[in-house]
Amino acid sequence: MSQHGLQIITNHQDRLIAGFAALAISIHLLESSVPSPVPGIKPGLANLVTLYVLIQHGWRLAVNVSLLRVLAGSLLLGSFLSPTFVLSLAGAIASLAIIGLAWLLPQKPIGPVGLAILAALAHMSAQIVTAYFLFIPHAALFTLLPILLTAALISGTLGGILVSRIITQTNVLIKHE
Amino acid sequence: MIWLNIISDFKLADKAIFIFSLILVITSYFYFWQTTPASYAIIKRPQHDALHISLDNVKKYDLQGAIGTSRVEVEHGKIRFVSSPCQNKLCIQHGWQHHHGSLTACLPNRISIQLASVNKTIVYDAINF
Repeated sequence: MSQHGLQIITNHQDRLIAGFAALAISIHLLESSVPSPVPGIKPGLANLVTLYVLIQHGWRLAVNVSLLRVLAGSLLLGSFLSPTFVLSLAGAIASLAIIGLAWLLPQKPIGPVGLAILAALAHMSAQIVTAYFLFIPHAALFTLLPILLTAALISGTLGGILVSRIITQTNVLIKHE
Repeated sequence: MIWLNIISDFKLADKAIFIFSLILVITSYFYFWQTTPASYAIIKRPQHDALHISLDNVKKYDLQGAIGTSRVEVEHGKIRFVSSPCQNKLCIQHGWQHHHGSLTACLPNRISIQLASVNKTIVYDAINF
């Protein structure tokens, strides 16, 4: 600790978290500026960063990256503590919980695609249930659920394939270094 | 052509999860898109308390609204506007309403009809902050 000014001591994990969170936040911001035909349908690319971090660096790091992304993303978009933020947080917590549990399975039988599908469906369901209890307590909300789940299944599958390929490629790079 | 070989990205458990999720999503259409028939209607008019009418019988009601009298018709579980003193007649064109949660209204005459079912509760449409 120097006497002139505050110095924060960081370790390798902190720098990984910061880097991946910055990447996730950038994707989150880019994604939020793309118009969507139906409210609630997004490609969910920011969550793919969480998935990548989970597989390469473990669940604790993934939790850090995901929650930082939700917090900093909402601060940058001006939606902190608004309904959007609450829904975003609920989705993030639900998907972290389910992929965390799936990752606990012995011998890790589930690959990126399965994890991405589980995460996307959990994310969407948690958001709808939260929206129902906090904001729109009307049964008509659930008529949207099948459409949103279909979108989640498609985006989860495609995202999972993407993560699977990115991991294969980065592992090749790491080996060559 | 490596990008076309998608199956190689699926482990065995991934395939199982995909198929299970697909079944779940398809089931959700059947589960969430079924409708409950309505058993009564809640009618709201200016300067009156809400009126609850049963949809079991066949009957016509004349309702006094803000600009005149609207006539609604009830027939075995369904209800519709038959005539209304409004200009565009959107309420009449909206036609028969059958399901729990459905809503039809004549805005110029300030009359709304909400359908409900005895064993289901109606709460707020939406809450915003």
